[in-house]
Amino acid sequence: MGSSMQLKRLICPPAPVVIDVEGLSKWYGPYQVLHGIDLRVVQGERIVLCGTSGSGKSTLIRCLNRLEPAQQGRIQVLGADVSASPTHCRAALREVGMVFQGFNLFPHLTVLQNCVLAPVAVRGMPRDSAQDQAMALLKKVGIDQHWKKYPSQLSGGQQQRVAIARALCMAPKIMLFDEPTSALDPEAVGEVLDVMVMLAESGMTLLCVTHEMGFARQVAGRVLFLDGGRIIEDQPPEAFFTAPQTPRAQAFLAQVLG
Amino acid sequence: MFESLGLLSLGAGGWGGALLAGAGVTMALALACVPLGLPLGLLVALCSKSPNATVRAMAALFSICFRGLPELLTLLIVYYGIQIALQKFQAYWGGSAEFSINAFVAAVIAFSLVLAAFSSEVWLGALKTVARGQYEGAQALGLSRRQTFFKVVLPQVMRVALPGLSNNWLSLLKDTALVSTISLVDLMRQTSLAVNATKEPMLFYLAACCLYLLLSSISGFCIAQLEKHYGQGRERAS
Amino acid sequence: MTAGERFAEWFGLELFQRYGAQLLDGLLLTLQLVALSSSVGMVLGVLLALGRTSRWRSLQYGCRAYVYFFRGSPLLAQLFLIYYGLGSFHGFWRDLGLWGWFGDPWFCALLAFTLNTAAYQAEIFRGGLLSVPRAHYEAATALGLNRTTTFFKVTMPQVLIVTVGPLGNELILIIKASAIVSLVTLLDLMGVAKLAFSRTFDFQVYVWVALVYLLVVECVRRGVNRLDRRLTQHLRPTDE
Repeated sequence: MGSSMQLKRLICPPAPVVIDVEGLSKWYGPYQVLHGIDLRVVQGERIVLCGTSGSGKSTLIRCLNRLEPAQQGRIQVLGADVSASPTHCRAALREVGMVFQGFNLFPHLTVLQNCVLAPVAVRGMPRDSAQDQAMALLKKVGIDQHWKKYPSQLSGGQQQRVAIARALCMAPKIMLFDEPTSALDPEAVGEVLDVMVMLAESGMTLLCVTHEMGFARQVAGRVLFLDGGRIIEDQPPEAFFTAPQTPRAQAFLAQVLG
Repeated sequence: MFESLGLLSLGAGGWGGALLAGAGVTMALALACVPLGLPLGLLVALCSKSPNATVRAMAALFSICFRGLPELLTLLIVYYGIQIALQKFQAYWGGSAEFSINAFVAAVIAFSLVLAAFSSEVWLGALKTVARGQYEGAQALGLSRRQTFFKVVLPQVMRVALPGLSNNWLSLLKDTALVSTISLVDLMRQTSLAVNATKEPMLFYLAACCLYLLLSSISGFCIAQLEKHYGQGRERAS
Repeated sequence: MTAGERFAEWFGLELFQRYGAQLLDGLLLTLQLVALSSSVGMVLGVLLALGRTSRWRSLQYGCRAYVYFFRGSPLLAQLFLIYYGLGSFHGFWRDLGLWGWFGDPWFCALLAFTLNTAAYQAEIFRGGLLSVPRAHYEAATALGLNRTTTFFKVTMPQVLIVTVGPLGNELILIIKASAIVSLVTLLDLMGVAKLAFSRTFDFQVYVWVALVYLLVVECVRRGVNRLDRRLTQHLRPTDE
């Protein structure tokens, strides 16, 4: 290691590991969905997970924030052991935000109320500051003029942007996306991806399960390809898209891009 | 025939005032059962979804029991049962006083149990309509289970449960007529007293029926307001 | 006291010796009341449902008013209205030779229950009638079936499938409501229970009677479930 490297190491310390997964295995009944997954994510990384349906990619990120319990393996998120009992990792999981395929907005609350609920109830933020923060974030995703509306009055793309803003209101350190554009009309996909690109460029740690390869190419620092519950490719996007190493990945790309 | 209508007047010599007072007692009794019966019904519904088999069995037993027994029998069992239980309890401790229980209280307990049993079916159906994604969205935001239930799930459940609960309420209003048997002076009892005094059963029992219909209509109006409140944010089905 | 006598006392067997036969008679009376009123009420209910969907305005409104009145007021009030109210017109009934009917609590109870359940069943059948798609009527006409045949062979079978569940519920409600007739001096199951309690102040009477009601209601519920499943067999996917 040259002295310039050592100097660089001193000036810019390596980014901390925010997610550390070791030997993660999960079964649904007798059916094994994840086989001994190992994964390390450092702060600021943008990771896209792709693969055929049933490959376990959604299950993997849902295990990261304990939406699905894992039977085997160790998952550490922001230093806390997520595979342990929920009470111990609750504080850490507050720093993880998630955006769902089905948006999961609360239908009985307005857009603003949706965004303000968690900061007030969970972080104890005073309502005014929470509202100001929410309006700022809604403006960032381009939807502030609809703050008074109910989710049912918004289009799919608008609802998903609200969902992103809602997650961001909790000031998370990691954002998980579970096929955020799969339920949207093709025209709406673009508006949501733009927001996600903006988020990525601001330095947020992102893990995104998606079929949108254009997004992956543009934003991802790493692409993980899953098949049959295993990560069989883990490469930077240019390498993955131009020269996939495994035949399954090649077949997948041929199908998706061809 | 029309001079007998004068017996319904609100002034002196007329029984109108007494009937309205009875209607007031009926309404008060029914209203008193709501804050006990509905939450208990919700609890029973939640218990019947519990992963614990004993808890589920207890909820099922409660439901079968209080939905299957005639309301009159439930009322009498609660009324006499509590008195006897209190007697035995204090006899055990050496007391010898006569115990009687307030008929209103006994009626509220009995009808609340019945309301809980019937409304638990409605609550259960409504809970099923809340999508799993709502729980996941709340969990992802860091809301505790208690916060999720009260701030996210319950408001949505109320909207769906209201029609069924309003049916439960209307049945409750009619069931309260039974308290005339434990000498609580509700609308029904007041009517019987009027009949005994004036020997005009046709007139007064018809009037009583009409008053019950009136109470139902008023209820219908109030419930429509509630439905509007809980229906916020949803498109009206045309 | 011997062990046997203790057991008998705890079990209320002495109670059974004194009141057992009467309780059985009471149960039979209850079942008779329920069977008669629900069956006559069903016929009346179907007629009312047809009346509500008829084309004559006055008939429609008449049926609606009937249903509104009998569903909106308590059965107890209706029972008293008929027994004490109609029963007060002695002269009138005597002239018609019908006093034997309207002075008799059994007949009055039967009448009140029949009229009441007819209103509830009318709503159930109305829902059933509305569930038959219009296309079926059109098909029947196209096939040349007359109205009576259409009604009995096309409409009613489909209506019955939809209404079995709610009718079963209504039957259970009638069984439970039958306890009210004890308040007009009829010795049904509830009536005998009250009598026995007032004589012995033994709370066990109510407990045993409660168990009998629960048993009857459970049996009816299970019977209706099985009937419902038999009738909707053709709607379920077959296991090939």
